Amino acid sequence: MSLTGLEAGQTVFTSAFAVTRADLVAYADASGDQNPIHQDEAAAKAAGLPDVIAHGMYTMGLVSRAVREWSRGAGLDATLTDFSARFAKPVVVPADGGAEVVVEGKIRKLDATSVELAMTVTSGGEKVLAPARATLVVK
Amino acid sequence: MLNTSYAGRSLPPTEPVVITADAVTRFAQALGLDDDGTVPPTFLISLTLPAAERLIDDPDFGLDWSRVLHREQRFAYHRELRAGAAVTCASTIESIKSVAGNDLLALRTDVADGDGLAAEVWTTLFVAGDAA
Repeated sequence: MSLTGLEAGQTVFTSAFAVTRADLVAYADASGDQNPIHQDEAAAKAAGLPDVIAHGMYTMGLVSRAVREWSRGAGLDATLTDFSARFAKPVVVPADGGAEVVVEGKIRKLDATSVELAMTVTSGGEKVLAPARATLVVK
Repeated sequence: MLNTSYAGRSLPPTEPVVITADAVTRFAQALGLDDDGTVPPTFLISLTLPAAERLIDDPDFGLDWSRVLHREQRFAYHRELRAGAAVTCASTIESIKSVAGNDLLALRTDVADGDGLAAEVWTTLFVAGDAA
């Protein structure tokens, strides 16, 4: 598939990810970011947070996964050339039940060889990233 | 408050670091990404932030990590990096802006492989002021 058939303004995916404390520990180990506010409730509260929060880069990583799953599913052979996000609110991850992160991807711009997506990312009804954008260039 | 005279400072590139297949696999697995041998989109932060720390972890700069929040992140990729790539990181303090008693610290790290500049990574840190 190519970029034909897509149009600006179109919502192309909505992906939901469950996030648990164990996921944050695994991400801390893989990324080297061992800041205790992402693992330890007491440390998070001492820093003025309501509870343990996800690494902003973990949430951004989930957005990259949503983008990749969409592009692969759409049969696009594309390379990610630009990826950005602003961290607006923390993703709070309680020990009991964890959190859910929902990523909705919309086409912002489109030309013959590239597509720019704008993602709305929410958790617990709050926008956590504002905005997140990704540009894919077809190989 | 940060020492604003540090704006514009940069460090020479680090020694080359090999992005191992094992590190790529672990990072991909932690995010639930399929591991196709390419370096995951956000992987470079695990190299660029430690590289930048050498520039900003300096008592004269006045950065207190317990007051830091990650505000913005951007990656620009000039080509695809695959596991096995050896890369260097060169960090620059692009700007230090004071907003309502807090500081916004903008960092850029150029990531290069044997063929030249492969990616640019921008990180903006929010540093809470004394009143916060």
